[in-house]
Amino acid sequence: MSMNNPKQRLLLSGNPRGGSSSCIKSRFTRGFLRALIKMKKQNYNQPTSSSSSSSSRREAFRRYRRVKIAADKSMAVAAGSKRLWSRAMLSRIRHHQQQTWRYHRSTFNHQPIKVKRLVVEKKKKKKKKKKKKEEERTGDHHHHRPRGLRDAGELRKLVPGGEGMDICSLLDETAHYIKCLVTQVQVMKSIDQFYSIN
Amino acid sequence: MNRGSLTEMLHCTDMTVLERQRARLKSQQQDQFHHQQPEVEERSGYFSELSGVFSGPSHVSQVPGFDGAAAGNSMIGPVKADPGSENGWSEMGKILVPGFGFPGFEANFSISRTASCTPLAAAAATTTAEVKDKISGAAAAGKVSFKKRKHDKIQNTKVVVEDEIKDKRLKGCAEEGDSKITDQNNNNNNNNKENSDNNSKENSKVSDVQKPDYIHVRARRGQATDSHSLAERVRREKISERMKYLQDLVPGCNKITGKAGMLDEIINYVQSLQRQVEFLSMKLAAVNPRLDFNIDNFFAKEVFPACPPANFPTIGMSSEMNTNPAYLQHQFNPLQQQIVSCSGNEMVINPPDMGLRRTISAPVSIPETFLDSSCFTQLQHLLPSSTTWDADLQNFYSLPFDQDRSTTFPSHQLFTGSIEASNLKTEM
Repeated sequence: MSMNNPKQRLLLSGNPRGGSSSCIKSRFTRGFLRALIKMKKQNYNQPTSSSSSSSSRREAFRRYRRVKIAADKSMAVAAGSKRLWSRAMLSRIRHHQQQTWRYHRSTFNHQPIKVKRLVVEKKKKKKKKKKKKEEERTGDHHHHRPRGLRDAGELRKLVPGGEGMDICSLLDETAHYIKCLVTQVQVMKSIDQFYSIN
Repeated sequence: MNRGSLTEMLHCTDMTVLERQRARLKSQQQDQFHHQQPEVEERSGYFSELSGVFSGPSHVSQVPGFDGAAAGNSMIGPVKADPGSENGWSEMGKILVPGFGFPGFEANFSISRTASCTPLAAAAATTTAEVKDKISGAAAAGKVSFKKRKHDKIQNTKVVVEDEIKDKRLKGCAEEGDSKITDQNNNNNNNNKENSDNNSKENSKVSDVQKPDYIHVRARRGQATDSHSLAERVRREKISERMKYLQDLVPGCNKITGKAGMLDEIINYVQSLQRQVEFLSMKLAAVNPRLDFNIDNFFAKEVFPACPPANFPTIGMSSEMNTNPAYLQHQFNPLQQQIVSCSGNEMVINPPDMGLRRTISAPVSIPETFLDSSCFTQLQHLLPSSTTWDADLQNFYSLPFDQDRSTTFPSHQLFTGSIEASNLKTEM
């Protein structure tokens, strides 16, 4: 009976008159849990026999990435294709998956890996330098120019697909995205609670 | 047109001018109007614009015989036809204001064009005078109605383009010559031109034409009316609407004034949410494998409560989807038999997971899920409006338990299927 208490509490605390948010919530939960189940099954099929700390860490990171992607994807699917941010997120995930798939495929042959890695490292270094420069520039500019709504650059970076939006739709999408994020956090928290209780 | 009175009018607020007008016009005689025509005409023009602000198209449509403002006398027909009682007066006032607003408009225009007294304007003036005499006749009720309208105006914070056009025109009058101004106004303000044309030509359609203006284009006094600034204003309004909406969404954003600060707050909030999601997914990722390996511990810890017999019918309801005759037979039988039958059912349906379930004792997990589903179906019956939400919860809560025992994913799927079916039933 002790199991029932948190459920009932959640039942009461939630909004029983299902609006769009609750609809999104249910869809998200369903999708996310399905993804988690899938993941677990795959883990069963491929039991990891890792003993060294570095490999286990990598394994943990990989798992984290998968959970994160699953959460993002299920949320984007739950939000529907009408929203710009969900479309952008899905396309980003797809792109990322393609990239990782290519990478995994390339791991079978040993020769090209090193080259690729080197290239990647070089690129990363360059990017880092560029970023630093940009930061310095923006930091300098930041004090001088007055901040208005015109340059909502940070928000653009945060909301997926925000780079190509005008300010009105950006704010719209931000509102919806915030709603979805809140529901995502709620659901994930409660899942985590149930894991941690048992 | 003497500039003194014009500037005076500029300084006055709308309603005070209105009231002054009324007060003066009450005292003045008709022949005095003929002598002081320009002044009256100005006032009538002013008044007309005010009335334009007040008068919704619905009021205009109340007037049955309202043909044209040029025939200002025809206006008096419906006015006279109305009952003189106090109840009728408020209605009459409503009718009156647009009525002699339009002749005022025309009078204003004709005069500004010619800068001299025209017979038409004179006629309009006389009609206004007559009308105002009537107002003075039913003074008390009229005041009440006017106050009412004043209140309406205060509520209606969106002052219409006309208002602002009038400002422009008056300013122009103060600055420059009369004839030039009308030309300029005609050239500059499309809306103004439209209004004037409509007023002079077909007054019956004025209300129809003005209607979109009321809705789409709004400008306060002294605001620009060219298309760029109007578009900019619309955009800004949209943005502020969205910001308000976001303000409601983001906690702690109500105190902050200024869009930059709000934007910062929103950015922080989104970042924190994203970080939370990352953290939670990390946590879940850490929890996932542990659950896989520590199944037996969970079973050792597990204490499952006795199933209350009242739940059994609902269980039967929810799991009718299974269409297992054995299960239906054993509905009201002791727990153990149910478990056996159910586990058998599952095993039949999902052969690939057989091995898994053999290693972990299936009978333990299944009554748990049953209990959950039954509880929730009961709750669901209590709250029939929230079917989807409950379904969500059912999914959600039946699942983690299954996962904790890490035995019966298929069974979970089975049950969600049944639950959805029951939802459908309840919805139907």
